[in-house]
Amino acid sequence: MTTTTDPQAPVAEATGATGRVARVTGAVIDIEFPPGNIPELYNALTIEIEDTGSGLEASTLTLETAQHLGDGMVRGIALKPTDGVVRGQAVTDTGAAISVPVGDVTLGTVFDVTGMPQNKSLDQLEITERWPIHRQAPSFDQLESSTVMFETGIKSIDLLTPYVQGGKIGLFGGAGVGKTVLIQEMIYRVANNHDGVSVFAGVGERTREGWDLIEEMTESGVIEKTALVFGQMDEPPGTRLRVALSALTMAEYFRDEQAQDVLLFIDNIFRFTQAGQEVSTLLGRMPSAVGYQPNLADEMGMLQERITSTRGHSITSMQAIYVPADDYTDPAPATTFAHLDATTELSREIASRGLYPAIDPLTSTSRILDPRYVGEEHYQTAVQVRQILQRNKELQDIIAMLGVDELSEEDKVTVSRARRIQQFLSQNTHLAKQFTGVDGSDVPLKDTIEGFKGICEGEFDHITEQAFFNVGGIDMVLENQHRIDKELGA
Amino acid sequence: MGAQQRVYKQRIRSAQGMKKIFKAKEMVAASRIAKAHARVEATTPYAEALTRAIGSVAAHSHEIAHPFLDSERKQTGRAGILLVTADRGMTGPYSHNVIREAEQLANTLRDEGKEPVMYVVGRKGDAYYRFRNREPQRSWTPYKEHELPALGREIAAAVTEDLVTEDPAAHLDELYVVSTRFENRFVQSARSVRMVPMGLGTVDGENAATYPLYEFVPDAESVIAELLPRYVESRIINILLQAMASEHASTQRAMKTATDNAETQINKFTRLANSARQAEITQEITEIVGGADALSGSGRTER
Repeated sequence: MTTTTDPQAPVAEATGATGRVARVTGAVIDIEFPPGNIPELYNALTIEIEDTGSGLEASTLTLETAQHLGDGMVRGIALKPTDGVVRGQAVTDTGAAISVPVGDVTLGTVFDVTGMPQNKSLDQLEITERWPIHRQAPSFDQLESSTVMFETGIKSIDLLTPYVQGGKIGLFGGAGVGKTVLIQEMIYRVANNHDGVSVFAGVGERTREGWDLIEEMTESGVIEKTALVFGQMDEPPGTRLRVALSALTMAEYFRDEQAQDVLLFIDNIFRFTQAGQEVSTLLGRMPSAVGYQPNLADEMGMLQERITSTRGHSITSMQAIYVPADDYTDPAPATTFAHLDATTELSREIASRGLYPAIDPLTSTSRILDPRYVGEEHYQTAVQVRQILQRNKELQDIIAMLGVDELSEEDKVTVSRARRIQQFLSQNTHLAKQFTGVDGSDVPLKDTIEGFKGICEGEFDHITEQAFFNVGGIDMVLENQHRIDKELGA
Repeated sequence: MGAQQRVYKQRIRSAQGMKKIFKAKEMVAASRIAKAHARVEATTPYAEALTRAIGSVAAHSHEIAHPFLDSERKQTGRAGILLVTADRGMTGPYSHNVIREAEQLANTLRDEGKEPVMYVVGRKGDAYYRFRNREPQRSWTPYKEHELPALGREIAAAVTEDLVTEDPAAHLDELYVVSTRFENRFVQSARSVRMVPMGLGTVDGENAATYPLYEFVPDAESVIAELLPRYVESRIINILLQAMASEHASTQRAMKTATDNAETQINKFTRLANSARQAEITQEITEIVGGADALSGSGRTER
């Protein structure tokens, strides 16, 4: 599909061809082109909207060719609201796919889906190169599978779902369990200490969060090595469907041309799927399971296969994925699962107990949680933690009916350790500082493993549960215990 | 979606199964309380007669010396604690309460500079101490309800031996009993009492007139030496029977609560299962309607 948009390919003779608007239905516009001058699929088309004095400003509306209907009719998807479009209006074929500026010029700049800078004027930028947003995924022999762990300093992630350098990481969660907060926390932790460049794609999420992020990055200075692309929830489906590709294209340039290690953050992949669903319906495709587009897996594959590391150069991506109605079997999150190296699932139940980050220790997994990659001690500790938590979960029904006294002595100990582990999985984060007043903590992997191992083996059975809440390393737990003892003594 | 329903259904089934067990146990315990209480009552006449006998001996001879009566027994600093717990689970807080009482007592004794030595009846108590690597001196487990008097005699013989022995590794200065007293069907309380050394409240001779005049053959001391171990034995049997009755009462209450809790669980999961089923139905309908709409719609708009 992407072959038609190869920048090197000779541009079709339809360049500059002009058609006219035949029909407008929301974000979908049918255009009639003269026979022989039909634009290729994925070609960008433009409509000049004039200032008619009705309050609409003059602007250029970009469309993307989505379907050929026959008889010179072309169906295009609008990337801006279609207000002001009139039947019969002239449509120009640009002869190429939507392209975005790439290279160092993108750093420190906020773009929209078509590569228009949002925080600077176009003249301020010296754009040397533009790449089309539809590109081939790297071929099979260029891929490289990395197994190097990527330390985040968040205990629960490092222990249970170790992230892969150059891997794809998914943060799954229902509404309001802290996906965006966690991804911003990751940006704070990772991007700040990262040597290479970062690219952030805001897909269909809150515009306010986007601005918060920009402000924060400006304050910390990270923005100088970050490119941001936004197509938030106020944009039409066409934009939300393509904005991830625009950001990805910028990341690919850094990887392929500048041979850098790139961080790519996407918030939120589900909005990409959702936009695809809206577009699909507007295009008149028959809906598939749960109303999703019939080409759901294909669309997801096209995006995900491009987010990958090639020999020597990596894109490490973190993607937030909204889970509708907390149902992980929903086709949208289920399709995304298969593409990821590490999946971190956020749980409503844990969030409701006030334990943040609300990572579900039993369902979150990682490809490299294997003694061959992370080492025997790390692996055994993670397995032990899971076992204790799993046993605790199984015992919950019995506790609910008979009470905790009824458990055998071993199980009582398991339950008490499980409760300590659950508390210890929570951590003080940098972003929560404004709420808790406590600085965030970075816990080295070694301390994380040591701490959990100690709890599993009963070294800290004498310490009250409270002391484990919202802490960094185990030394902070001991400090807390000391403070609690003092308060009780006073 | 179907998977979610299956999970809930399975949990409902398991809660229903457990509820049946709880209900059955509750009824069994309820029927046994009365019987167990009757057995406690049955030991009363003998215990009273024995108390009277000891009282009268004590009243007549002011200077009786017996190791059980000597309040200054101090040889080894070892204090025995006889702890009566349940053999089985699902007895509510029954075992937990006595164990806690025993632990408190042990701590107090330790503070007084004595060394507590555990004699444990029942698997729950035994498991508690073994798990903490503080193996009891002796434990009697498992035991059967109808063999309680025999068990009581065995325990009494064992502790008596340790009380009188001259072996410093086994000798006990004191003996405490921690058990549950059966007040009535609804009130049982964990108590600890000191059994040895005993205090005989009537040794002052003031109310000597209450007892008929006896002549002791060969002398009062050998009579009391015969009587006291029997007294200890009857007290222990009585304590075991009371504990048994309390255990049944506690079981009944615990199982009643458990049955109610199981009921709550079943209700909760039934609701969740229902809403999962309904969500599935809604989704299917939406998909069929949407699909049909798209099919009929596509005929009109395409081409």
